[in-house]
Amino acid sequence: MTKTMPKCWNMKSKPHLFCPGCGHGITLKQLGNAIDNLGIQNKTTLGIDIGCSLLAWNFFDISTVQTHHGRTTPVMVGFKLMKPKRVAIAYTGDGGAYAIGLQSIIHAAYRNEPVTVIVVNNENYAMTGGQMSPETTVGTVTSTTPLGKPDRYGPGLKGPELIRSVAGKDAYIARSSVSNPIQLMSTLKKALATQIENNNFSFVEVLSICPTNWKTNAKASFDRLFDLEKYYTLGEVK
Amino acid sequence: MSTVKIIVAGEGGQGIQTIAKVITNTAAREKQNVSYIPSFGVEQRGTPSIAFITLSDDEIYYPRFNIADIVIVLQKRALLAVDQNIDPNKTKVIFDSSTIDSDLVKKYAHSFGIPATKVAQENFTAKSFNLIVLGKLCRLLNFNPKDVWLEVEHSLGKKLKDPKIAEASKKAFEAGLNSIFEVKKFSNASFSPATGSIISKGYDKTAEISPERCKGCGICIMKCPVGALKFSDTLGVFATPIPEIDLEKCIACGNCLRFCPDGAIAVSKDKVKNKK
Repeated sequence: MTKTMPKCWNMKSKPHLFCPGCGHGITLKQLGNAIDNLGIQNKTTLGIDIGCSLLAWNFFDISTVQTHHGRTTPVMVGFKLMKPKRVAIAYTGDGGAYAIGLQSIIHAAYRNEPVTVIVVNNENYAMTGGQMSPETTVGTVTSTTPLGKPDRYGPGLKGPELIRSVAGKDAYIARSSVSNPIQLMSTLKKALATQIENNNFSFVEVLSICPTNWKTNAKASFDRLFDLEKYYTLGEVK
Repeated sequence: MSTVKIIVAGEGGQGIQTIAKVITNTAAREKQNVSYIPSFGVEQRGTPSIAFITLSDDEIYYPRFNIADIVIVLQKRALLAVDQNIDPNKTKVIFDSSTIDSDLVKKYAHSFGIPATKVAQENFTAKSFNLIVLGKLCRLLNFNPKDVWLEVEHSLGKKLKDPKIAEASKKAFEAGLNSIFEVKKFSNASFSPATGSIISKGYDKTAEISPERCKGCGICIMKCPVGALKFSDTLGVFATPIPEIDLEKCIACGNCLRFCPDGAIAVSKDKVKNKK
């Protein structure tokens, strides 16, 4: 019997709402595989943010809550305080995590709250038409930087490295990429296990592709992702 | 005086909003009162795209309306979305008979088919089918074709810089002008998205591809290490070509399954009995 989808995906909501070739689909597939492998479908709650990540509102056959700009992490922290036995996942994009919701994430990491934060980084605000985000690398053309991002706006914020400096000593912080789904799945699994077994903060940034706003085809999208991986080095940051 | 309420509906990226703009601009130049509002969902791609147009000699008080006089639908999913705006006994439903099955429009009293996608694929480029529809709509509303074409040149501008494309587009538009509606006898919906799942069995492998979920991004084709996948003629949910698999070449590595964002493809190894 062939299986095209993880068990915890909500079959009724497919085809899902993401664009063709979206990196969210690849990330959520591996997140689904990780949830299936750990067998935690019945005790997981997923929090999603504003932006493209909100299109996952009926993606999984698990409880999902959608929150406002960058407030996914504090909502899931509060949820975890009330229901310590549940597994709380905050799923957000790079705009929601690093621009609007950065202070929420920093304090969750500082207090070592037992939630898993997954940030999908496609270096733009994809839902509104591909504007420049803090993650955009220098020289990248977006709809608000038509001549390429100038130097003075910064080289691209390295989120995991920033959070490492404030996080508790047992936290799990890593960066992964959709170019290697096997490694992505094991990273997500490790992050979820950190929350379940050790009750520690875990944070995974996933480098992703955005063919619609990058205006690239499948091959060009992955070529650009490999260029990104040279700047945002992959692996466990802590 | 007369008021015409028109709905143009199709998949995002089919040129629905461009058709609507051309129609409203042309009518506005002829000193008619016009209103036009686009309507689509939160997704960037793949949502039914609908345009509400009102052309009137009187004042228009509100741009939105419930029941339309003319409805033009180009895709099956769009038809389901605008079904609430159709009065089965009064509304004229013009549909692309090469993408929408004629069973779906049986319940409407006035339905007219126009095989735009088929004509465009066979005679012009695939993307020019919206110009055929525009040509027919121009004839239906009794607009002067020259005015409409000026407006098309104005709004498409850059895309018509290449003289070859401009000529082909003009021909497609004229073909639309001179086309005749199909009534009762519709052509075959050969360009409609496929349904179900395509299962192919090899000697020791089974492959499953689901056109209902495939959006045609091409990641599986690019990630296949042995080149066993290529685009086929079958259409997926976004009316884009979906891949077909050559099980002779396939090594069942599972890369397509891992990378597919939509959960539309999988290959599994079967246990082979009576192995030599």
